[in-house]
Amino acid sequence: MISLAGVPILSLIIFAPLVGALILALMPGENVRAVKAVALGTALVTFALSIVAVLGFHIGDPGFQYQETVSWIPFFGIQYQVGMDGISLLLVVLTTLLSWISILASFAPIKTRVKEYMIAFLALEVGMLGVFLALDLFLFYIFWEIVLVPMYLIIGIWGGPNRIYATIKFVLYTLVGSLLMLVAILATAFAYQSATGSWEGAFNLLTLQKFGFDTTLQLLCFVAFFLAFAIKVPMWPFHTWLPDAHVEAPTAGSVILAGVMLKLGGYGFIRFALPLYPQAAHDLAGIIIVLSLIAIVYGAIVAIVQPDLKKLVAYSSVSHMGFVTLGIFVFTQQGLQGAIVQMVTHGIITGALFLCVGVIYERTHDRTIANMGGLASRTPVYAAIFGFFMFASVGLPGLAGFVGEFLVLVGTFLSSPLAAGVAALAMVFGGVYLLWMFQRVVFGEPSEFLLKLGHHLTDIDRVEVLTLAPLFVLAIVIGVYPAIVLDFIQAPVHDILGQLSAPVTGAIP
Amino acid sequence: MTQNEWLAVAPFLIVSGLALLIIVVDLIWPKRPVIVTGAAVVGLVAAMIVTVAAGPIAGLNSQLPLTGQPVFGGVYIQDQLTVFLDLLFMAIALLTILFAPDYLEPRGLPMAEFTATLLFAISGAMLLAGAQDLLILFIGLELLVLPGYMLAGFAKRDGLSTEGAIKYFLLGSFSSAILLFGLAFVFGYTGTTSINGIAKALISFSNGAVIPVGLAMGLALLVAGTAFKIAAVPFHYWTPDAYQGSPTPVTGYLSVGPKVAAFALLLRLFVEALGPIRADWGLIMGVLAAITMTVGNLAALGQDNIKRMLAYSSIAHTGYIMVGLTVFAEASDPEIQAAGIQGVLFYAVAYTFMNLGAFACVAALQRRPGVTSQISTFAGLGRRAPLLGITMTLFLLSLVGIPPTAGFFGKAVIVISAVQGGGWLTVLAVILMLNAAAAAFYYLRVVVAMYMREAPDNARPVVIGALTRVGLVIAAGATIAIGLLPMITSAMLDWTMDAARSLLLGA
Repeated sequence: MISLAGVPILSLIIFAPLVGALILALMPGENVRAVKAVALGTALVTFALSIVAVLGFHIGDPGFQYQETVSWIPFFGIQYQVGMDGISLLLVVLTTLLSWISILASFAPIKTRVKEYMIAFLALEVGMLGVFLALDLFLFYIFWEIVLVPMYLIIGIWGGPNRIYATIKFVLYTLVGSLLMLVAILATAFAYQSATGSWEGAFNLLTLQKFGFDTTLQLLCFVAFFLAFAIKVPMWPFHTWLPDAHVEAPTAGSVILAGVMLKLGGYGFIRFALPLYPQAAHDLAGIIIVLSLIAIVYGAIVAIVQPDLKKLVAYSSVSHMGFVTLGIFVFTQQGLQGAIVQMVTHGIITGALFLCVGVIYERTHDRTIANMGGLASRTPVYAAIFGFFMFASVGLPGLAGFVGEFLVLVGTFLSSPLAAGVAALAMVFGGVYLLWMFQRVVFGEPSEFLLKLGHHLTDIDRVEVLTLAPLFVLAIVIGVYPAIVLDFIQAPVHDILGQLSAPVTGAIP
Repeated sequence: MTQNEWLAVAPFLIVSGLALLIIVVDLIWPKRPVIVTGAAVVGLVAAMIVTVAAGPIAGLNSQLPLTGQPVFGGVYIQDQLTVFLDLLFMAIALLTILFAPDYLEPRGLPMAEFTATLLFAISGAMLLAGAQDLLILFIGLELLVLPGYMLAGFAKRDGLSTEGAIKYFLLGSFSSAILLFGLAFVFGYTGTTSINGIAKALISFSNGAVIPVGLAMGLALLVAGTAFKIAAVPFHYWTPDAYQGSPTPVTGYLSVGPKVAAFALLLRLFVEALGPIRADWGLIMGVLAAITMTVGNLAALGQDNIKRMLAYSSIAHTGYIMVGLTVFAEASDPEIQAAGIQGVLFYAVAYTFMNLGAFACVAALQRRPGVTSQISTFAGLGRRAPLLGITMTLFLLSLVGIPPTAGFFGKAVIVISAVQGGGWLTVLAVILMLNAAAAAFYYLRVVVAMYMREAPDNARPVVIGALTRVGLVIAAGATIAIGLLPMITSAMLDWTMDAARSLLLGA
């Protein structure tokens, strides 16, 4: 335990990547080695800062820690206000970890415009960290939108053949949701202002969540927030941008997309939609649970028939993220804890799976499952690591993927045994698509396609092992000793459910 | 003339004097663009300083904190709103003059005539901004639009330019006539041309009483006439042709100068004079706003020519600004009414910098005669001309409304005022946001071309002149500063609110 009193640690975390991006912008782009070194260094420093924040964190203390508040636009009472609780802590560490891993994993595949790529990546990290740490609705929205632009460029410039279609689709989907959310944010703030007569605190999450909004406003604003977050998660039927974006994105883009950006939606539900509009959340929970179950089943079934490795993992994300929304909206302690753990473990495991797909793509320039086969005999180390993460994703007990899904199932069972039954059934499909894919890719005789590659088909190299090693360790540690993450979220989960159970309504006529 | 009268019209006199001076300079030293541009820049900066300084001297801030004193028997006023708009118009002129030489000189188009014509137009806008009498308002308007027709046809050997100018001239003249007809009806009913007098005469209708048929006729004519001027649907048909045909720096000016000035006209005419009968024009303004932004964006989606695309997009932005006016008309709380006007003014500032900047990027690219404004021209620009690529991306993101840019705050301020208005104004805000999302599609197509497509093999290097560089940096700096720097954002919010209040207090 270290003391961080008086240190603006959260601002340091958020803006460290920005400093790195500015340094990169001023550097000559020709010196690719130096560019890569600065980018990786920045990401590692940010990671180290987030670890410092973890060490100074008081587990079990209620509320937000390391709070910083600076007046920003006094006209509307908008503040630069950041703070961290156990939930944001886990997601911040996930972000900073996956960011440096992604940057390291980009060293070999990204050959053109390296400097611009690294700047975009660091800018992306700023936005994601800001979303997880903002406590002011306006600030949150700004970070939320900032995330959009670098990802648009990363997919659009460094992506695959159909990248432009994919990236425009990604932007339009996300933008429709987020712009309506802006209207909802402003309406919420104004409802507060007209009731209290002052803009002071009108965008402050901590003030607003104590304020009971009238039911119509709750319903309309919740729907707007829901749309923004459901598109980001993505929930069925708002998911169609995801497979396209994943297939076209470069490997590291996919890692961040699946590992962190999908969590922005889940985090948004937990941090903003539930506490601000508890009544509406209760009223609409039934629909959202049904949509989540559809996502779980649909994602798993569609994944079975995917011919492309990346598409398969993308649809598996739809299924796995269904557990997150399911866990959130059953409103039980286990469910919410499970949802948060599932977000973290999905980030770790799916990030790793995309890295594994990237490894094979680097060597074959192909991701078609039908072309693969017999990798076990040609690249044994790679096959073992790939298998490990595949089993983690299936949800093998003792590995990280099990913890979240199990907790969500328990939490769901307490509230609706039927829903729990459907979700449990869907987990079987999860086993089917991953195991069948693994069998076709790794076992059997080496395929014609792979044999043609000859000595180009090398086993996993040291840098690639380095990118996967931390995820490997975490997948085991969280699986064996889940308390390492559960301890952090005990207090905030209790707080959030406490607010939900006693919804105050009708304060505004 | 008293001291106050001199001070009130000083900015107007300086700018129109500057226009005359440039004609004389060009007679003495013909074809010296450097002298012309230098004189115009120095003169405009001087006029801006005088505008800022004249207010406190005239007692603007000490005795009457927000409203100025009407001068010349109450026909002109230098209040906070006039000061605000004057500065904005001069900024538009300044940026246009910085962007123009790169485009005009290679085509052999005379700089001096261009500058003088532009300055006359701007002086018209400034006259209009402070008008307190219908006749001054109309004279200001004509002084604004007549040079505009000349500028549209400035490339007189270019068929498209001439065609666009003729369309612009004919429809512009019709709309001026319609507007004048409407003014006559209003005069007929109120017996005065004074804006304050009209407001006083109409005050008996402010409780929602039915207005007489003749006044309603006048109102309809005024709505149609001004809708032409701001290019609101369905009176927008002249816009794409006029914008596409005009020389690109002129297009930039036309998309910003006359549009902001027409909104100044709306503020003086509809808010200040016809404010008491706002219940009668609020709904039509709201419906026009919704149609205008939707049609503008839908039409822009299919354009392959960037000038034409930006022309339709400027129609959409007209719709966004009209939402602010609708909020004024429909809200009952004076604070919310002021917030609506604040939205209009804030958006006007954001729109000025981002739209002028975007057109300047197109103009810079077209420096070499013969380069078209097709979207394919932008292929690979991000690598061929990094400065153009980055600034154009910034302007386009601001036009979409992505934070932290001026365009984002512009939309936020308008939407927040609409949400405050409540009821169907909230629906209008939602329509605005859905439009903004749809608009992202065509703006981002340009970014796609610049960064995600390779330049054709025969692409020649893009050379940007020093003046254009300065102008781009100013426009981009303003676009980002208004969005990113808290002090500037707050100052702009306060300033636009003061200007809005000064208008409403005067009304």
